[in-house]
Amino acid sequence: MSDHQSLLSNYSGRPLRIMEVCGTHTHEIFRLGIRSLLSKNIELISGPGCPVCVTPPGYIDSAVELALKHHAVIATFGDLIRVPGSEMSLAQARSLGAKLKTVYSPLDAVDFAADNPEKEVVFLAVGFETTTPSACIAVKRAAALGIKNFSLLTANKTMPQAYKALQGSADAFLYPGHVHAIIGTELCEELKNDYGVSGVVAGFTAEAVIKALGMIVEYAQSGEPFCDNAYTSVVKAGGNVAAQQLVNSMMEPCDCVWRGLGEIKGSGMKLKSQWSEFDAVAKFSLTPDDGKCNPICRCGEVLKGICKPCDCPLFGKVCTPINPVGACMVSGEGACSAFYQYGQ
Amino acid sequence: MCVGLSAKVVSVNKDTALVDASGARREVSAELLDDLEPGDYVMVHAGVAIAKITPEDEE
Repeated sequence: MSDHQSLLSNYSGRPLRIMEVCGTHTHEIFRLGIRSLLSKNIELISGPGCPVCVTPPGYIDSAVELALKHHAVIATFGDLIRVPGSEMSLAQARSLGAKLKTVYSPLDAVDFAADNPEKEVVFLAVGFETTTPSACIAVKRAAALGIKNFSLLTANKTMPQAYKALQGSADAFLYPGHVHAIIGTELCEELKNDYGVSGVVAGFTAEAVIKALGMIVEYAQSGEPFCDNAYTSVVKAGGNVAAQQLVNSMMEPCDCVWRGLGEIKGSGMKLKSQWSEFDAVAKFSLTPDDGKCNPICRCGEVLKGICKPCDCPLFGKVCTPINPVGACMVSGEGACSAFYQYGQ
Repeated sequence: MCVGLSAKVVSVNKDTALVDASGARREVSAELLDDLEPGDYVMVHAGVAIAKITPEDEE
């Protein structure tokens, strides 16, 4: 047993609440059985870092409108297809004739558009700093190849404002390794120094997660704010500068609605006006609104760590992975889905 | 969603690289990383190599 593992199992200090911000961490922590190693004084909370989970119903409504009214082919990562919109999900729209194409990368959507010039192809660009560069590269490639039938429906989000909005939800964050591979670790220093927010950047293997959690427990003994990087093989202090420059040259911040958290000022990214021919909202004259969620669904409180999935009256009864009501049940990385799948 | 795949670079051609992830080969964008060479290990996300994987730094 490693020193960190033993520390996590035998910890008897003051109760610690640690928020794993990233949906991939949530899923991996369940899959690897890490919760079963933890002392009862360490509580893990699943935060809002699953882009599918924080996609608001109004965004799905826009995608459904593009598919059914404008007959665009919707290219998307697979788990967005079942996210409920105000009236229907994309899966339900498919039964009304919507054409959906699941892709691994937005670059695959560009290739599909090139091969099908008679079809409009809209890629659903959701995701955080990790994913946004790939959407920019796709637009750049489409422009270079003169492809006119490709556009993005953007709902790209950035973490800094979200970390500040979630300040106080937990004693420390398990920072998402691949977001910080792009943005670096200076933000963590700033959060520590200016906001008193603590956390450690973590990788995704069992050893990496245990190491980062162990460091959090060690640091937390001092009572002082802290930050550190436990994923130095991939995350460098300055991040990926080329990715930062690319995104900043093509996109600009915008206010953005997060499902369950509401609007967070400056937390979204959209294409700059010179790229508007690749922006589906401009291209198809969409007028997106926030949409409507099921009022009983408690996904918003789950995302903020205020309640656990099993505290929601819909959980496991009306809302299941087969028939999800809230977005946290749809995505395999959502807290509700993970709790359901692993029987918590 | 932010899951990454570690892969070994097989060859590099301008802005793209052929990578091998546990036997599965795929072309990915390499334009965010400078000086990639065959044999390097990279973290791939959504078809883009986002970081070079280096030995753990000394702490």
